[in-house]
Amino acid sequence: MLKNTFRRWWDLRLQIALLGLAVTAAWGVRQTQGTAMFEAYNWVTRPFHANGSGQEQLILARTQELQAQVSELEIQNQKLKELLGYVSAKKTKGVVAPIIGRSADHWWQQVTLGRGSNDGIKTDFTVMGPGGLVGRVVSVTPNTSLVLLISDPTSQLGVGITRTRHMGFMRGKGKNQAVMEFFDNVPNVKPGDVVSTSSFSQLFPAGLSVGKVVSVDLNKTPAPEAVIEFSAPMNSLEWAVVYPHNKQAEQKAYEAQTSAPERGVGKK
Amino acid sequence: MKALPRMSLRSRQFLNFTVTCTSVILCILILPTRMPGMELLGISPNWLLIWVVAWSIKRKRTVWGAASMGLVLGFLQDAMTAPDPTHAVSLVVVAVLTVVLLKTWSLPTDLVERDPIPIALIVFGMAMVAETVMGLQFLAMGDRTLAEIWSDHQRVTLCSAILSSLWAPVIYFPLNRLWEMTRTLEKS
Repeated sequence: MLKNTFRRWWDLRLQIALLGLAVTAAWGVRQTQGTAMFEAYNWVTRPFHANGSGQEQLILARTQELQAQVSELEIQNQKLKELLGYVSAKKTKGVVAPIIGRSADHWWQQVTLGRGSNDGIKTDFTVMGPGGLVGRVVSVTPNTSLVLLISDPTSQLGVGITRTRHMGFMRGKGKNQAVMEFFDNVPNVKPGDVVSTSSFSQLFPAGLSVGKVVSVDLNKTPAPEAVIEFSAPMNSLEWAVVYPHNKQAEQKAYEAQTSAPERGVGKK
Repeated sequence: MKALPRMSLRSRQFLNFTVTCTSVILCILILPTRMPGMELLGISPNWLLIWVVAWSIKRKRTVWGAASMGLVLGFLQDAMTAPDPTHAVSLVVVAVLTVVLLKTWSLPTDLVERDPIPIALIVFGMAMVAETVMGLQFLAMGDRTLAEIWSDHQRVTLCSAILSSLWAPVIYFPLNRLWEMTRTLEKS
């Protein structure tokens, strides 16, 4: 009898201890942002990663992106000639990374890349896909990195209409679209206009192509809105290129630009 | 399976523990993948939810045991996505609800454990509960508008519930069989 009670008591203690251990371990994994999990995932899925260099797709993407950027650069160049303290931002080489996974739940728009801090990727780096901006690196493990897509409702960025230089900010709407709110009351914008990141965005470098305007609602309060379709195919991405992005350098350049006496960049 | 009764108690417990842990790890590693046939509008089954429901359905599972397992898997899913808002709340709610549902309605356990239809129905309902809890958490955080959450919620809930309930037997039956066998052996 006594032996039995003792055994049951011992079993209960063992159970509590095991459950406590499990909760603590899970908490630990959560605090380290699942580093071990992502590394294991990368290791397991390695045979299934897209192979080849992805060069062709990237070159095609680059052409598309450049076409969209030409008009942006033409106008920007014209304006910049008038500016005094212009700091030129040199383009650095990016890291090509395969996309090995998508979001692990249904509410976040994320992808996992198969390159990490071993290849020099750090948090806040900019991720470009075929056609334009894709997102921002939010956490890194040695061989993987987690990217928050610009289609996620929590990622907001400053964007501008390339043709007319009207500025605003954009919020993701899931999948392939985003909504842009203008700072101006009557912006000059029409469907088909190209949208790119503006110098107001702190998280992304300025001048990256984002997408195209699909529809415009000028009567929307408090600010006019436009629906934007991303130029990068968010649902069928296989490769992405990660570019370094230094927030502080960006900030300095931005401050230099705003403190320049003749501020030509058209915000009315 | 025939070798199971011949094993010693310790090695049987060890096997049980290992298989359970491995199944959790498999569920977590399959989360970021989108395999053909497992995807609807970019949404895949909620594997951890299926696991939690399977764990909670097993007979004689206490509310505390179910809830702490929900907490563990919720933290693990947080690690895989973003920790704010936490997924632990939705999984704990699901675990507790499943146990309470089985106990208060005293559903015939034989029926629940042998037939895929009640499992699919329970998982369907629980997936809806879990996504609703997540939606409410996003609403409480306040960085998404109600309209956005509502439109997301409809899409996410329906797809997740349909897919999870269809894929539930894949996780449920092997695990249930293992737990059932170890339990009956321990009793005898």
